[in-house]
Amino acid sequence: MSNGQNDKPKNVIEHMASWITIPRFIFVLLLTIFLVSILFPFYWMVSSSFKTYAEIGGREPVYIPSALRMDAYKELFDSETDEYWNFGNNILNSILIAIPTAIIAVILSTLGAYAIARLYFRGKDLLLNSILLIYLFPGVLLIIPLFAMLAQLGARLGFEVRDNLPILIITYLAQTLPVALYMLANYFRTIPAEIEQAALIDGCSRVGVIWKITLPLAIPALVSVAIYTFMIAWNEFLYAFVFLNDRTMFTMPIQINTIYNDPTPRPHVVMAASTIMTIPVVFLFLALEKFLEQGLVSGGVKG
Amino acid sequence: MTSAAERKSFKERWNSLQSREARLAWALILPTALIVFGLVIFPAIFSVWISFREVGLNNLNNVFNAPFVGFKNYIDVFNDFAFKFQGMRSWGAAVTSIVYSFVATISTVLLGLIAALLLNRPFRGRGIARAVFLIPYVAPIVSMAFVWRWILDPRPSGVVNDVLLSAGLIERPIAYLATRGLALLLVIIFESWRYFPFAMLMILARLQAIDDTLYEAAEVDGASTVAKFWYITLPELRYVIGAIFLLRLMWTFNKFDDIFLLTGGGFGTKVLPVLTYEFSFRLFNFGRGAATSMILLVILIAFMALYIGVVMRNVDET
Repeated sequence: MSNGQNDKPKNVIEHMASWITIPRFIFVLLLTIFLVSILFPFYWMVSSSFKTYAEIGGREPVYIPSALRMDAYKELFDSETDEYWNFGNNILNSILIAIPTAIIAVILSTLGAYAIARLYFRGKDLLLNSILLIYLFPGVLLIIPLFAMLAQLGARLGFEVRDNLPILIITYLAQTLPVALYMLANYFRTIPAEIEQAALIDGCSRVGVIWKITLPLAIPALVSVAIYTFMIAWNEFLYAFVFLNDRTMFTMPIQINTIYNDPTPRPHVVMAASTIMTIPVVFLFLALEKFLEQGLVSGGVKG
Repeated sequence: MTSAAERKSFKERWNSLQSREARLAWALILPTALIVFGLVIFPAIFSVWISFREVGLNNLNNVFNAPFVGFKNYIDVFNDFAFKFQGMRSWGAAVTSIVYSFVATISTVLLGLIAALLLNRPFRGRGIARAVFLIPYVAPIVSMAFVWRWILDPRPSGVVNDVLLSAGLIERPIAYLATRGLALLLVIIFESWRYFPFAMLMILARLQAIDDTLYEAAEVDGASTVAKFWYITLPELRYVIGAIFLLRLMWTFNKFDDIFLLTGGGFGTKVLPVLTYEFSFRLFNFGRGAATSMILLVILIAFMALYIGVVMRNVDET
């Protein structure tokens, strides 16, 4: 029968053979390259944090540690060890900076974005289009005058500029508010104004409208702004590096840098500290990734 | 012609809905405006002022009385051996910055494009893959920089050395981040690795918005995959890619943390931000540091003006 061959059920090999085509092969290859190049450093960081000093400094890299040793973590947290880093303090400092920054940034940018999106005032379009130009000025440019300015202000008003967490919070706000404003303003624009106008006609005050109608509808964008701002404050290096001198006031990035530059190399401790610093942020992002993408992209690029 | 009776009084204009609305708007924006103005715009202007004066540790507390020295700081920077281009062995900070920014941005966009194309069509595990692809962008720069430094460790215990030695590709371990040329290449690779998710997200969003009927029509006409990509996908992506390129170029040009943490600016990787830092906080010559950052800014603005004027003008279709 001429059709017999076509009707015969394919065996496993033939099934696989027909599945493997060149485009699919390239696809899987590229995907694997990406995944490995991303996951390996991450794995290396976490696994190195559980190694002993001998495993770290040996002749060959230890890909799978023999056991989950807590040596590195003990050095970070246990005050009994020789080189006690008091990392718990640094974790606290980072939290004390990142969370207030995120909260204040959300509040201020919501108010400002609402004004830009809904209210009419002279200079509004100019403001929205040029606000991202703020980022033309790099941190290294601003830090010199900022340092000088704040030193003068501190001398006059009697506050210490260095080792001052609230000052650091304010500088982080300055770095994150423009993009937060931009993202939120664009997002607010996508919420139909008719809903709010209906409420206004019914006698609701402006603030009432913001609170009861706009905000609940904008939750994805608000969450994005909060996470994004938290991430920037948590990871930030330069300003913390320059403004913080006392080891007990260091945020995590600076302390990790200090551990790295210690005369006796202790990579496993560096990796342990890095793991502690990385896991919360990565976790936060992955858990709420949908919100972030919506916020980043919906207002960002035309089309 | 408005008579005196018809022209609105000042009081009426003050209380009009329009004015009240504008006042409310300004009140809502005020805190943000204050912070941004006080901590970004004013320091930027102040930086220009500082760049024309001699400011060191000795007069930092008395900075408003610092002596005016005209363009001396700028001339010092231009003549500085770290800044000038001195032939192929020693590029100088300005050229290094430009080369680094361009190449890193191009490869970031390319990687982002490839990643977006990979994630465009549904497949099993796509959600997880997309989440994993975001990790380099999201992880703290400190930890990622030190992990990479550790992986590129010059001793045989560094992973890259171990792999290459075992595969017989090299005979002796190489100090990757301490080799001129190689260090810059690696910094560029690191930069593209870290920031491709940003490009990927933007491109992916745009890709998903492309009308499928365009592709279907092309298939009917017998277009190959490559042709479909070249004549449909790419033109649709032009605006996004143009915008991403500009943004990333700007941010990469200004970046300090990444290079400082990876190589400290040594072995041919000294870029302008790192040079600025060194003038200001190693030599404590704040005037010169400010001048370097001004030069950085001017180069950047010049490029952006050129880019927006020439490239973006042709891309204004949606």
